[in-house]
Amino acid sequence: MKGSKANGSRWIKTAAFAALSLFSTGSWAGLYNDGKVFLTGGVFTVDGAGGGGAVPWATITGYESRDGINGGVGFTYVRLPNYDINWIGGSIGFFDRFELSYVNTKLTTDLSNVNTVALVVDALELAGTPLVGDLGLSSNGSKLHMDTYGAKLRLFGDAVYTSDSFIPQTAIGFLYKKNTTPEFVRTLNADKAKDWEAYLAFTKVFFRYSTLVNVTVRYTAANQIGLTGFGGCDLGHNNCNSDKEFRGEVSIAHLLQKNFAIGGEYQQHGNKQKGKTVDTGGLLATDPDGNLVSDLVSNLIGGVSGLTGLNNALAQNESDWYDFFFAYAPSKNYSITMAYLFLGDVAVASQQNGLYLSLHATF
Amino acid sequence: MKGLTKKLFAGAALSIAAMSSATSFAGENPTNPIMGVPASSIEEFGGREGVRAWVESLFYYIMLDNRIAPIFREFGNPERQIFLNTQLETMVLGGPNEYQGASMSAAHADLGITMTQFNAVVEAAYNACERNVIKYHTCNQLINALAPFTDDIVTR
Repeated sequence: MKGSKANGSRWIKTAAFAALSLFSTGSWAGLYNDGKVFLTGGVFTVDGAGGGGAVPWATITGYESRDGINGGVGFTYVRLPNYDINWIGGSIGFFDRFELSYVNTKLTTDLSNVNTVALVVDALELAGTPLVGDLGLSSNGSKLHMDTYGAKLRLFGDAVYTSDSFIPQTAIGFLYKKNTTPEFVRTLNADKAKDWEAYLAFTKVFFRYSTLVNVTVRYTAANQIGLTGFGGCDLGHNNCNSDKEFRGEVSIAHLLQKNFAIGGEYQQHGNKQKGKTVDTGGLLATDPDGNLVSDLVSNLIGGVSGLTGLNNALAQNESDWYDFFFAYAPSKNYSITMAYLFLGDVAVASQQNGLYLSLHATF
Repeated sequence: MKGLTKKLFAGAALSIAAMSSATSFAGENPTNPIMGVPASSIEEFGGREGVRAWVESLFYYIMLDNRIAPIFREFGNPERQIFLNTQLETMVLGGPNEYQGASMSAAHADLGITMTQFNAVVEAAYNACERNVIKYHTCNQLINALAPFTDDIVTR
């Protein structure tokens, strides 16, 4: 009872201090805090929120305890056979209760099939006979950019110290994702380039087994975490659907020592672009006999690849994500996470497995 | 009715006071972690002597930490602290219950311990395990067993 009373007043204090701190730089010295135990704030996720690699946890980012504020900046680089992705962002945790995060994601494609389409578009434009509008493609590697803004609130529970109860630390989070390359997203037959997501995360440390378990349920319509937009449409942007659905995610981290964890993650994905080819805006339109309508296009790509081959190669699919990682925090000022990702089919490319490297610097 | 309630409360308060003044034994009980504490833990700590050596290391690291040393310097009698902590840790690790100190909540009620200070002691606990060559996994059994006291100790 004493505890719950203390929690009540702490709530008000948290809000008051958070508001105050926005206006008074002088109060920062007293609010700075790094009293959390190693790695219990999680590392820097691809959503910017505190958590594992891909899965946001119920823990609040940074090394602050309930007595203050902390945060950090993160950089993540992923190299996949056909994609190159980097994330840069930061997050702040307030009183181990609330967190704000931002991350910018840049994905560069290295897809011969999409590059071919881009090349055709470029060639037609140079010839002064453009057949389609801006597809958002580049023959040197098309790019997808996204900004993600996040907020997370710890509702109840303590992931670390309640070893005598099964109640996990529970948090609710919101993410607003804005893809700033809407032309490419549309070309990929996604319905929307920007959308919000919500998640409920449950985290618990089992000291008996030196293991942290996190389960997250996310309500979203994202394709590839939003990098290829939200929802899907039929060719020509018809029959669009971006209804959100619940998807499950799991992180398990086993600590080998107090500042070194190994583990794995699973993230369920939707498949709203399944089987849909890249929307080339009629560029690859065919007559009933299967011949290209445009002689110009036919001449351009006839020699590069067979048309059926190209169209088939432009069909999309999306797999659930898996990864195995280790995270090392040599000090409270930084952590290094390395992972091997099994992302399966990503848009028009299959078997996208590769390395993940992330640095999280904390104040 | 009101008077009766008052009397009952006073009686209850008195009996609690009587209990706490007579706490020569069992001022605190073993905790009950959901997944239990392995029976081998006390042995892996090196038995009672191993626990005592760990507690001595713990206080060594606590006194080196400016965030918490002043509290222990002001309120603690190190010799007695080490004596009582050895009993407490032996008990929660599954050894005999010979704890002669006050309950965790009574012992910390007036100290105004913050979560930051509590976590600093936990860091000292891990450092003490490393210093005494106690395996990380074994060390976690002690944290597992002591963690339920968190709310009794952290009052701010």
